[in-house]
Amino acid sequence: MNRKRTGFNFQKKLNRRTILRGTGVTLALPLLGAMKPSYAKGADAENSPKRFVAMTLGLGLHAPNLFPKESGKHYRASRYLKPIDDMRDKFTIISGSSHPGVGGGHRAEASILTANPVGSSGRASNTISIDQHLAKHLGDETRFPSLVLSSTGPNSPSYTENGAMIPAQDSPSALFKSLFVNDSKRQREKQAKRVREGRSIMDLVQDDVKRLERELGKSDRQRLDAYYTSVRDLEKRLAASEAWAHRPKPKVDTKKPVDIGNRSDFVGRQKLMSDMIRLALQTDSSRFIVYHLGGSGGVVPINGVREGYHALSHHGRDEEKLQQLAIVEQEIIASWGRFLRSLDGVDENGESLLDHTSVLLTSNLGNASNHSNKNMPVLFAGGGFKHGQHLAFDQKKNYPLPNLFVSLMQKLGLETDEFASSTGTMTGLEI
Amino acid sequence: MSGIRDTCRFQAIVLHRNHPVDGWLKYRCLCGTLERLRFHLMHGFKKTTFLPLLILLCAWQQVHAQKSGEFAPVPESVRKFLESNCYDCHQGSKPDGGLDLEELSNELTSANAHKWTRIHDRVRDGEMPPPDSADIERAEQKRFLKSTSKWINQVQDSRSAAFGRVSARRLTNLQLERTLHDLLGINIPLATRMPEEPKTGGFTTVAEGQSMSHFQMKQHVDIVDLALDDAFKRAFTRRESQNKTFGAAKIARPPDRNRCRIPELINGHAVTWSSRMAFYGRIPMTTATEAGWYRFRIKAKGLKPASGQSGVWCTIRSGRCVSSSPLMGWIDSFEATKKHKDLNVVAWLGEGDMLEIRPGDSTLKVGNFQGGQVDTGVGGKQNLPGVAIKSIEMQRIEPGPDNDAVRKSLFASERVMFGKNFTGSLKPEDPKKSLKSLLYRFAKKSFRRPIEADDILPYLQIAWDRYEKSQDFVSALRVGYRSILCSPRFMYFLERPGKLDDFAIASRLSYLIWNRMLDSELWTLASKKQLSDPKVLRKQVERMLRDPRGKDFVADFSHQWLDLDQIDFTEPDRRLYPGFDPIVEKSMIQETQRYLQEMIDNDLDIGYLVDSDFTFLNSRLASYYGIDKNGIGTTDGDEMQKVRLQKSSQRGGLLTHGSVLKITANGTTTSPVLRGVWVSEKLLGEHIPPPPENVPAIEPDIRGAKSIRDMLAKHKDSEDCAACHRKIDPPGFALENFDPSGRWRTHYGSWKKNIKTRAQVNPGFQMSDGKEFIDLAQFKKLVLADKEKLARNVAEKLITYGTGATIQFSDRDDIEACVSRAAKKDYGFKSLLKEVVASDLFRTK
Repeated sequence: MNRKRTGFNFQKKLNRRTILRGTGVTLALPLLGAMKPSYAKGADAENSPKRFVAMTLGLGLHAPNLFPKESGKHYRASRYLKPIDDMRDKFTIISGSSHPGVGGGHRAEASILTANPVGSSGRASNTISIDQHLAKHLGDETRFPSLVLSSTGPNSPSYTENGAMIPAQDSPSALFKSLFVNDSKRQREKQAKRVREGRSIMDLVQDDVKRLERELGKSDRQRLDAYYTSVRDLEKRLAASEAWAHRPKPKVDTKKPVDIGNRSDFVGRQKLMSDMIRLALQTDSSRFIVYHLGGSGGVVPINGVREGYHALSHHGRDEEKLQQLAIVEQEIIASWGRFLRSLDGVDENGESLLDHTSVLLTSNLGNASNHSNKNMPVLFAGGGFKHGQHLAFDQKKNYPLPNLFVSLMQKLGLETDEFASSTGTMTGLEI
Repeated sequence: MSGIRDTCRFQAIVLHRNHPVDGWLKYRCLCGTLERLRFHLMHGFKKTTFLPLLILLCAWQQVHAQKSGEFAPVPESVRKFLESNCYDCHQGSKPDGGLDLEELSNELTSANAHKWTRIHDRVRDGEMPPPDSADIERAEQKRFLKSTSKWINQVQDSRSAAFGRVSARRLTNLQLERTLHDLLGINIPLATRMPEEPKTGGFTTVAEGQSMSHFQMKQHVDIVDLALDDAFKRAFTRRESQNKTFGAAKIARPPDRNRCRIPELINGHAVTWSSRMAFYGRIPMTTATEAGWYRFRIKAKGLKPASGQSGVWCTIRSGRCVSSSPLMGWIDSFEATKKHKDLNVVAWLGEGDMLEIRPGDSTLKVGNFQGGQVDTGVGGKQNLPGVAIKSIEMQRIEPGPDNDAVRKSLFASERVMFGKNFTGSLKPEDPKKSLKSLLYRFAKKSFRRPIEADDILPYLQIAWDRYEKSQDFVSALRVGYRSILCSPRFMYFLERPGKLDDFAIASRLSYLIWNRMLDSELWTLASKKQLSDPKVLRKQVERMLRDPRGKDFVADFSHQWLDLDQIDFTEPDRRLYPGFDPIVEKSMIQETQRYLQEMIDNDLDIGYLVDSDFTFLNSRLASYYGIDKNGIGTTDGDEMQKVRLQKSSQRGGLLTHGSVLKITANGTTTSPVLRGVWVSEKLLGEHIPPPPENVPAIEPDIRGAKSIRDMLAKHKDSEDCAACHRKIDPPGFALENFDPSGRWRTHYGSWKKNIKTRAQVNPGFQMSDGKEFIDLAQFKKLVLADKEKLARNVAEKLITYGTGATIQFSDRDDIEACVSRAAKKDYGFKSLLKEVVASDLFRTK
């Protein structure tokens, strides 16, 4: 594979390997040469930043077309995996796993990354999602501790500690702007002043809410606590962004993308946003990214597809619907594969960007037709794990998927051995 | 921390079971300690040192925080009843309907209240125990119902007395926008810049569903900044309003440009032909040099309308009109008639946006233009409908309060001095005194209640600090205002448990009717403590509805109640359902809103929701519905007009409004389940619980099942499904005669195919009580037999929307009281609203 070289201008050192390879560097410079240094750590593979990207589907993937019949290394590519079989060594397909106790069909979208049973009544509160957990502990090295994105609308599977959903950004062009377009100097100064002022306001209202709690007694304590926490968290974030406000944003030789107006153009939107995600990773603007591909109601504009995507996912085993559904889902996976290839094509300190990025593709629905949340579809790529295999767990007694999150957290350097209902790390991913 | 929290919960239960502890005082002390401990923990004390103590303290707090007063377990007699009549099926590893009664706690919590409520209701309705499997005496059933309801009422009432049934809710996006508009005299759109809010019980006002985190806080600060920036900018501007008029030659393409998407000049008019080409009809002369509100007066006529049509329906939209920024904002639609017509539209344009005016009726013949541009002269030869514009007048305006009013909002009587170049400044004689009085005045308004001078001290401090550092009065004032607008006293409805004070009632009322802050009349009444009087409240409802702002009530409420905001969620497949276009879609919304407004204005009885002999149509919607346009004038066909429906018409009542039919379908097919759930929950007030979690997931298999009816018939076979589907399916089937785009149909399948090969629609079914109907008309009659039920549902929706909490079991008596008072006014919609406002529920936290 022809790798593009990133032109990171590391201030710390240029190590020997990099210089030895120097001859190949110039060729690819035009694309990325203008990128500015944006992280401080050393330039060897070991110290390269480690990232996590979660792509979550709202409507599942039809299991018989996805999971290979054989387990282990020598599985035969299933219908959906065929188009990405060239990447076989870079990802693992996991069957027979799910989040213990999680149910509620579509409502379990809220549980994809929290593994917390929100329940079908939707009354129970949620807990922190894996991306936010990582961002909280490791996210302060980049301009954006995390990015929460979607294809359409504000819904996301990302939740804060107190169970508030983080609204997603769904416009690639707006994302591009916040990642790469610098405000004018005057705007930046104004912004920095505002931020400083904002911090003192946050101090002030924290005091006020305490007084208010005394006035109101116990009745609204919970609500005011949530307010208090959000103010305190914002204060911390403002402190961090104050530092970033003075630093110029990285430059890329890519034009601002044009948003796709058609909400039903599921795959078109997926491609466009995936490109933005690659740029964000490449420039180390953020290391923890969630991209939610919720179900769209309309007809996905692909040849041979005539019915709405959501309606197709409830195929009821109708062959004509399954046929159309397969066309859509195959495109989604192929597009995911293109994203992997694009990461794999970027050199970062002698390894590929994909080697430093764990990419998860999953959905709350194991079977969209009966809204089951068991046997979730799980594709897991990159990040320095052992891949090239089908990890087949028990279809009836599912393996706890939160174990994957624990493996991930450890790989990213968090000393922890639990997440939600985990029972350990996931077996079979260690190199 | 989550580990700790879980441990606490566990400990709490253990502690609670073994050592019930009482004593408010102990609790208070412990809470204080706990709060401090939490603080230490968060600031880096070692967990281990405090962990055991913390767990214990958490446990104490949990025990007491969850319950106010005494722990009241379910009465023994209720348990006994359940044990002897229900345990056979509802117990063990696979209980029926996913309800394991043994696992169901004896304690009523907010998490299980809906289960206990449902148990009560199903026994009350004679659905449980199933009549064919158990035989219980009426007296026994009655006793059970009485003790169960007494128990639930007691527990919920005592909890409400201590905490209120509503917890502090936040201003919604819309409320924040309008409140900032009121406070500052500005008019810039703010709500659209915030992400959509989640709905709980159908409404964004419900506190339980409003989440709060640093994201929401950041967004709030950003919105406040936008509002303040605009207000201060306007305060220091003396705008000379510019008025520009363009004739057709200016609107049309320049003579040297033969290939573009700008209208062409024909006979003194700028003409745009019917076509699907993007941005065709763009008018660069109207480009906005700055973001803001603009008024356009457009003089236009229609060319070559389709045969039988009185004019050419056109859209007016705005945007950059280039493919790198393709999204277009909707402004208006109109019917361009043979005679010239003057249109008056007011629209917000972003910087660089321009108007696009073009034929927008998707049933019109479209032109054939080669090479992605429109060559001059090519459209005229194709016999196409078109729109011809004679002139456009464009004016930058500030709708609502003018700049003087903005200055007054910000600076009261402080004078702004204007220099030569129209920039103003403000230099009061005694800055500290001015700062103090301005902040006091602003805080009082913002917090929506009288305040003490001391209350603003911290806000004054931050402003004064800024002044001392910068000697800049305006920037100091801005800091003060900014912090006031970030205060919880501004962002939340702060109400004390028990009967609400007059200012809290005033706020509830003003946000219910207007979604904006209380006005001076409400303020005066609240100061005089007159708002606790139901008579005064009813009068206020009348006044507020008649106020120009009162028109917002129907639009705001129906947007959420009827999901009207979801209408553009899907786009009906153009090939399957031709003729549906944005003009039709917007007209459908207008139809429903005008109709509900009519119900409010004339206090029409609630039965009009289900059936009526009139509706509101413009000429486009009338032809879309296939309704005779008699009576809709040809000159003002774009106005919604009240139209009498013929006896034979299939329309009448909300259920037949295109808006409702469109919203309840997915764009390609109709589903009686979706429509049935919608009608049950939105109009009949039947809450349909989600399918139970442990119902064995039967994978739907529709192969071989020919129609949707056969598919759903399978539900009958399982009691788990049938329990709800008995209620869901009837309204769903009754509406099957309407396709996903809201049009009448007699057969399924594509209109292109031979009707003989298509399956016929059968709208007949039976109600949950077994009464049969053969079509929608009969279904409507059956529903109308119980107007009380319809009224109860609307009362519940209004209470939920207006108080910020969904209906719980113990609210039922109050709701009944509202409904029976409204019954004396024949269940008039407006009367019902008045009774809701006058009710105890509305006047109590």
